[in-house]
This record gives sequence, structure tokens and C-alpha cells, in this order.
Amino acid sequence: MTVQLDRPVPGDSPGTGGPVRLPWRSRLHAWEGRSAPYLYVTPFFLVFAAFGLFPLVYTAFISLHRYKLGSRMSWIGFDNYVWLFTNGAFYNSLWKTITIGVLSTVPQLMLALGLAHLLNYRLRGRTFLRVAMLMPYATSVAAATLVFALIFGRDAGIINGLLGLVGIDPVDWRNGDWTAQIAISVIVIWRWTGYNALIYLAGMQSISSDLYEAAALDGANRWQQFRHVTLPGLRPTILFTIVVSTIGASQLFGEPLLFGGGQANGGPVGQYQTLGLFMYQQGWQFGQLGRAATVAWVTFLLIIGLVLLNTRLSKLRGGADR
Amino acid sequence: MSSPRKLSQPRTTTAAIAVAAAITLTLTACGSGATPAASSGPVELKVSLFGTFGYDETGLFKAYEAQNPGVKITYESTQGEDKYWPALQTRLASGSGVADVQGIEVARISDVTTNQSDKWTDLRDTPAKDSIGGYIGWKEPAATTKDGAVLGLGTDIGPTGICYRPDLLAKAGLPTDPAALAAQMPTWDAFLALGEKYKANAPAGSAWHDSAGGLYNAIVSTQKEIYYDGSGKLVYNSNPAVRSAFDTAAGAGQKGLTAKLEQFVDPGWDQGFSSGSFATIACPSWMIGYIKGKAGDAGANKWNVTTLPGGAGGNWGGAYLAIPASSQHKDEAAKLIAWLTAPEQQATVFDKVGNFPSTTGAIAKVEGTTDPYFNNAPIGKIFSRSAETSPVQILGPEDGVVKSAMTQALLSVETSGASPADAWKAAGTKISNQVG
Amino acid sequence: MSAPAAAAPAPASQQGARAATGPEQGHLAAIRRALPRHRGRPQDAAGLTTYVVLGVVALLFLAPFGYMLVAASRPMAEMNTFPPPLLPGPDLWKNIATAVRQQNIGLALGNSLIVSGIITASTALFCTLAGYAFAKLRFRGRDLLFGVTLGTMMIPPSLSVVPLYSIMADLGLAGSLSSVVLPSLVAAFGVFFMRQYLSSALPDELLEAARMDGATALRTFWSVVLPIARPGMAVLGMLTFMTAWNDFFWPVITLNSTNPTVQVALNNLGSGYVPDTAVIMAGTLVGTLPVLVVFVVLGRQIVGGIISGAVKG
Repeated sequence: MTVQLDRPVPGDSPGTGGPVRLPWRSRLHAWEGRSAPYLYVTPFFLVFAAFGLFPLVYTAFISLHRYKLGSRMSWIGFDNYVWLFTNGAFYNSLWKTITIGVLSTVPQLMLALGLAHLLNYRLRGRTFLRVAMLMPYATSVAAATLVFALIFGRDAGIINGLLGLVGIDPVDWRNGDWTAQIAISVIVIWRWTGYNALIYLAGMQSISSDLYEAAALDGANRWQQFRHVTLPGLRPTILFTIVVSTIGASQLFGEPLLFGGGQANGGPVGQYQTLGLFMYQQGWQFGQLGRAATVAWVTFLLIIGLVLLNTRLSKLRGGADR
Repeated sequence: MSSPRKLSQPRTTTAAIAVAAAITLTLTACGSGATPAASSGPVELKVSLFGTFGYDETGLFKAYEAQNPGVKITYESTQGEDKYWPALQTRLASGSGVADVQGIEVARISDVTTNQSDKWTDLRDTPAKDSIGGYIGWKEPAATTKDGAVLGLGTDIGPTGICYRPDLLAKAGLPTDPAALAAQMPTWDAFLALGEKYKANAPAGSAWHDSAGGLYNAIVSTQKEIYYDGSGKLVYNSNPAVRSAFDTAAGAGQKGLTAKLEQFVDPGWDQGFSSGSFATIACPSWMIGYIKGKAGDAGANKWNVTTLPGGAGGNWGGAYLAIPASSQHKDEAAKLIAWLTAPEQQATVFDKVGNFPSTTGAIAKVEGTTDPYFNNAPIGKIFSRSAETSPVQILGPEDGVVKSAMTQALLSVETSGASPADAWKAAGTKISNQVG
Repeated sequence: MSAPAAAAPAPASQQGARAATGPEQGHLAAIRRALPRHRGRPQDAAGLTTYVVLGVVALLFLAPFGYMLVAASRPMAEMNTFPPPLLPGPDLWKNIATAVRQQNIGLALGNSLIVSGIITASTALFCTLAGYAFAKLRFRGRDLLFGVTLGTMMIPPSLSVVPLYSIMADLGLAGSLSSVVLPSLVAAFGVFFMRQYLSSALPDELLEAARMDGATALRTFWSVVLPIARPGMAVLGMLTFMTAWNDFFWPVITLNSTNPTVQVALNNLGSGYVPDTAVIMAGTLVGTLPVLVVFVVLGRQIVGGIISGAVKG
């Protein structure tokens, strides 16, 4: 780390008479003032570098090796990538990640928007409602999935019981293709909708009331106000939640793992095997850590791509609006 | 750091450093807390198994603790071996969480002797060395490495029959007496033909067999050569017996003769033992205890046992007890497994739970056992006969991998309507992915 | 990458943060500002329909907790009927005792408390230090370092599990609580959060006054910054605690049933270590309750924190 410094705001050394003539206490003081910022950020960056950045880069390195659980790494170049990109199971899990991502994100954000709109009215019991909406968020993936796995049971689950009331035959949620994806999406939606609703609520309440008054003067009704004032005002927030939810969806792991009773295959034909689960299966069921690292690194690149795409899109849309 | 003290209390910076130091210390503390404590006082033996070995159920652990006051046994069990094994591999690799005694399924024992001999204790160097003899012909050689190291003591073997629900069969107009039923199923095809009859007259929501995977495993259990040939080559892909068993099981799934419940994983499978969602299940001896556990007291006399179609002998499963090389209590653990696998205890486990013994001494003892829970079925006779007539199977290091892939592929035929040919291909890809 | 800042109520740019420094300088200022009374659509009183819809939604959100409680207290056979019973049965304590015995739930609770506690304390402290430096001090490389922090905030930590696993195994830490604690000692989100909080809550004049008094930098931090940062640290602490308590992927890989956290124990419960559904639900209930209690008691503050942070941890 460089010790060459800008002028720090507090504790700047006075005068240019040469540091030698300053009393030792002032010199110490000045030195401390200048080095303090680095001292403050050092603990964070030390840990961050050791357990955040380094492993990420090291993942790329490992992905170039054959590395089986319990043995040493041996260099194999891009063999793992060839294996990955010629592997049907990879494309399957990529596709399932996308479909489950869409199935969980789209309804989740739309519901959240509607909820935020309702929560924005003057309400009695506001705090209760907000806390209730957030309780699922406080629940762990494991707990939520274990409960929902029962609720979605084939022979005795509540959902099938309810469907039976309207004359629909029991659905084998676990073993079906779309049904399992829907069930998993429901878990995600349950956990995150309230959270996103609160974020939208915050966004809505920071929109200037002048805009609404102006719209009302123009004769806009409620829906038009929502359409023309609220939605544009929320655009950055919405984009943000889309990015975050997309990244979250690309990392789905606990839900499909436990929904499948702790098996990493995501159903007998991988109906709900996400990328996260695929990586886990390679690394810790098959013991192929090198391949798991390859999956992780490719997922990482995909996420970077997604984020860049999102930022670019938001800039384009934002620019077109102004 | 001395500086003007106008603002607040002294030694504030020191305090900040102290906080950081405290955190570091706590961390170190919990790091060391995870390492095993030195042995003082009673020895704690950790036993980690899968499925139902029967030791806890029959009180054998308690009995051993009573006989050996210096020993305390802690025990955990994973239901499905498919999950137990990968988790054990991770623990072995990281050297953490490995128990003093681990169960090893027969489909993994070759993997252990071929690839992992450094991770397990050679029992010839332990007090268990005197227990290595006394087994039926193939049991101990399968747990012995090329260099002669013995890595596990046999617990049970898996002679196989068919368990069935007489009450459900009666409703469909099928014979309920074991001998009469056996007479009507000379082959697997005849077994499935009975299934068609059952399906036509069965109570709603009840299938003939529990799962295509179980059916498949029972069919291949009668073969000598399954996934490997005599020279140790992986031949599942070209072995007609495997393909034919796969197709038979897949066909049963497609015809709706199975309840489409994944064994050991689907909670519905567990419920099925009492709810009657299936009328028959392939029954290796260790399934007897599993049924008792799941169907509970209310299930007494609901089940019966007969032989495999044509009275064929077969072996599905069975296990070993082994001591990881990392165990701190090898001698104590060896004494424990020698005791647990001794003929008397094997016989006790068979009598009370159903796991069929693998020592000749115990087999002689259980010849006449009947099981009151199963309508007094002569399980001693049925399983002894199956064991005697079963071919000695050729084992290989990837047996477990192939078996699991086949079972999954069959589940996909049952539940997702995959064609048997596609499912077979998918299983092949999965296997080569994993073996490569 | 500047996306994360977009939704934060106080924009990442200095001007935005300064502009937001209103008269309400004191505790939880940033949070209150996130929910101003005089902005947003003029608030109409909610009609009956709104209450009904919100009531139904709240019920749906809470129903799984009720199911958890009922299923944990009755034999599975009773839950297999339809409609299922709505009231808890008599077996709750028995099932909890079984879960505690079979899956080390007691040990898991203790472990989770240790792990989450250390992570929370260290995140709150270190992220406040760094957040303060980024918010109020000028130093060479600041923007670059903050950019790196922001840029990596969105990278899911689960992508690094393979090397983490091999590092921990090499250090002999795999399976120990340290292996779970170490990677989570700090969080990029925490730095971002505390920077946002301090840029608006900490007036420059106070720092200036401290400088005039000749306070050392560390002294300034301790006596001026920390007291003002405390409410923000509390919110960050609660969020961090919740995240740490619920962390799943990495703990499931590195820990095992001999020394689990709550989530690892729940994973084992759901993976066939315990075949009895009622016991599984009892374990789930016990493992979830501590966070829910914290949440119900401190719900207001956490809601405020989420709104002002507006970023998924």
C-alpha cells in the first residue's frame, strides 16, 4: 500500500516550514491523520481480499485443472470447459435457471408493486402489515422449503387438497417438470415479495407530491396517475430490483436441493436443477471440484454479462426518456 | 497514543484495538473448540450409518455400553445411501466429521478397496483381526485389498424376496398365501402379469409395485455379472441382463404398475407402507426392518413375504462396518465392530429387525426364524434359500454410481414419461460424467 | 458498476448525500427520511377492499408459519387428512425433544448464535470504519477502492465455494465454525450501507470541531463518529445477523452433522437423517423461532433499515 497521500481533511499538517522543526507530537499527529483512512479500510480489505477476491480469481485457476475431492490438482487446460459446453446437463440447468428465474421474478415483482401501491394508502395497522410482509424474508431458505415441500405433497399436501375441492386431480408437484419449477418459484415468491414491496414503497414515497398534484389538475384518474407518475418515478428502483432478483435467481440452491429431499440432481431428469445445484452436484456429489469451479466461473461471467446488459438497458431507456 | 484529552475518556483507541483483538481471540477459540478433545474418561465412539442397521433398534448399542462401562456410543444414520456416501466422501477429504465407525454398502466396498485403502484401517492390525474368518464365501474377500488388507467387517447380506399386502391382493382377487402366490409367478413377466390383474381390480390409489427402481434392483440381484465382468471391466452398457432388467422395470412403470415413489427419498414412499399406495415391494432382508419402522404397530400382520419369481436366489445390498484411518480410537472401535458383527448379534438383528446375517454361524442359527409381524412368515427359510441359491456377484468400484444412475433414469420413465431408450441414454451420460 | 446505488434513498453521489442532510440530524435520521410524510402521492385513506386484499395477503404470508407449528405438534397421519387441523396438537414438546436429540438442534442453536454474533460484531465494526473513511475522509485511491467494493457487492459469495473449500481444508479448518465465520467477517454491502448512512448523518462541522480540538484521527472516530454511527450500526447489525443466521450454501458444504449450524441441521433434517415429518417440522420451528422473535420485536427498525438500505444482503 502506498504511503504517498493526498491532504486528508482532518488532522492536516500545518505550514510548510519542513516537518523536521515540528514537535514530535504534531508530527505523530499529522502522520496519524494521513494514515488513518488506510487504517480504517485495512481490516475490511484484508478479509475481503483473502476470502472474497482471491477465491473468485482462484476459481478461474482451479477450473483449468482436474481436481477430484481428496486428491491433488493436475493441469488440463480447457478440458473442463469443453466438457461443460458439450454437456446436456449444463444446458439443462442453465435453461432451468432461466425458467425458474422468470417464473419466480416476474410474479414476485408485479405482486410487490401492487402490494406497495396498497400499502401506500393511509392505513391502520401499518407496522403490523409491514412486519407480516417481511416475516417470510426473515425465514431461512431451509425452513421455508421444508414447509413448502409438505404443502406441495402429492398424496397429502394442502395444495392438492384445495385443488381437489374444485375437482382437479392430485398433482405430482415434485416429479413433474413445470409443476416442480412452479412449486420452487412459489417458495421464492413467498420469501421475497414483501421485501420488494417495501423497497417499492420507499421509492413511491420519495416521488414528489407536486407531480401528483399536477397530474390531478390535468384530470388524471388514479390509474393514470399510477401509470404516468408512479411507474416512471419508480423506474430506477424497478431496474434495481430486477438486477438483484435476477442475480438471486441465478444462485438458487437451497430451494431445489431441499425440495428434492436433499438430492443434488434436481429431480430424476433434472426438472429443477439450477446452476447452483449443478455446481454442487459436480463438486460434492461426484467429487469433481475442477468441474464445479468451471461451472462457478461460467456462472460468474453470465452474471457480469447480465448486470452490464441491465445497466446498458437502463441507460438507454433513461436517455430516451429525457 | 498520547494526545490532548479534551473530547472524551482516555484510552479509547486502545479500546478499539481491544475489541478487534477480542474478536480474533474468540475466533481462535472456536477454531480450537472444533478439534476433538483428548481422550480422558470414557471413550466416545461415533458411529455413522445409513438406512437401518438395526443396532439402535435392537438395543445392541446400549447392551455394549452396559458391558463396557468405558465406552459411550453416539450414533447417527442417513436414510438414503445415495446421500450418505457423497457426504462421507466430503468428510474423508476434509478430514472433518468422520466417525470412528462408518457403514459401507456392498456396492461401494470395491471403491473402498480399490481407491481408498489409505483412508481406512486395516483390521488385521486391530483387535478385530480374529473376527475376519467365519463369513460366507464372498463376504470378506470383497472387503480385502489386493495387498491383503481387510478394510471392513461384514454385517448383513441382502437375500431378496417379495413383500406384499395380502389384504390388498385379496381385494383384487389374487392369492394371499405365500406359496400360492409364488406358484403364480414363475418369472418376472408373470409377476407383472399379476400386476395387470391387480391393476384392473385394485382399490383406488393403489399400485402393484412401489417403484421401477426397486423392481430393477431386484431383477439384477439374481445375476452374477452385473456392472462388471470377470476381468474388472465396466460392462453395464453391453450386459444384456442389465438392459433387459432396465426395460422390464421401465415397461412396468410405463404401464402404470408402479406407484412412482422414489425409494428412501420421497416422503410418499414412507407413507405408502401404511397407506397402501403399493401392494408389493422387492424385499431384500434389510427391507423387513424398514417396513416395520414405517408401517408401525398398526402395520402388524398387514404384510407377508414370499420368494422372488421362480424362487430365484438374489442379493441386493448388504453392508460392512469399517474404521476410518483418521479415527482416534481404533482399538475401541475395532472391539465394537467385532462384537456387533459376531454371530450372536447378527442373529439378534435378524430376529428383531430382519437384516440377514453374513456369518455362517449366524445363518445356521436363524434358519427357523419366523416373523410374527409378517403373518409369521418363515423369513429364516425364505432368505436362507435365497442366499444359498444366489450367484456370487462380481463387484466393481463404480457399482454404486451405476446403480444410482439407473434408478434415477427409471424414475424419470415413471414420473416424467421419458421413453426407456432416452432414459437409458441419459443414465449412460450421467455415469460417464461421473466416472470420467 | 453503479447499479446498487440507484435505489438507495440517498444517492451515492456526494451532492445527493449532502443535500439530504436535513435538520433531522439525530438518530435514525436516514431511516426517517426514507419515509417522509410530506412527499409521495397524497395519501388517501384505504378503503375496505384494500384492507381485505392486504389482510388476505398477510394471511397467506403468515400461513406457512401456522402450518409449521401445527405439523410440528401432531402425528403425520393427522396432517395427511384434508382439511388439515388448524390448531396445534399435544406432541410439540416431545417432537422438539426428539429433534434436539437426533439432530443436535441444541448444539446447532449455540453454534449459530456464536457464528452470527461474531459476524455481526465484526461486520458492524469493520464496515463502519471503512464506511466512515469512504464517506468523510479524502485519501489517494479512495474512489478506486470504493469502486471495487461496490463492484463486488453483487457477486454472490457462493461462486467462490470451491477454492474456499480447498483453502479451509488446507488450513485444517474445514468443518469448524471458523471456516464459516472467516469469509463473512466483513461485507461489501455493510461498507456501502455505513457510507450512505454516515455521509448524511455525520455533519462535517463535528469533524471539523474535533480537528480544532486537536483530537487524533482514531480518537475522533471513537468519540465523534461511533456515537453517531450507532443507530446505523444497529440496523446493519440486525440485517447481518439475519443473513448470517440464514446462510445456507457455504455452511452446508463445509460443516456436517457433528458440528452444525441451524441451517446445516435443517438441511440434514430435510435430507433423510430424520424420517419423521413431525420431528422435521419441530426442528424447523426451533431453528426459525429465534430470528422470528428478533424480527417481531425489532420489526420496525428492520423494516426501516431495509428501506433505507434497499439492497439485498
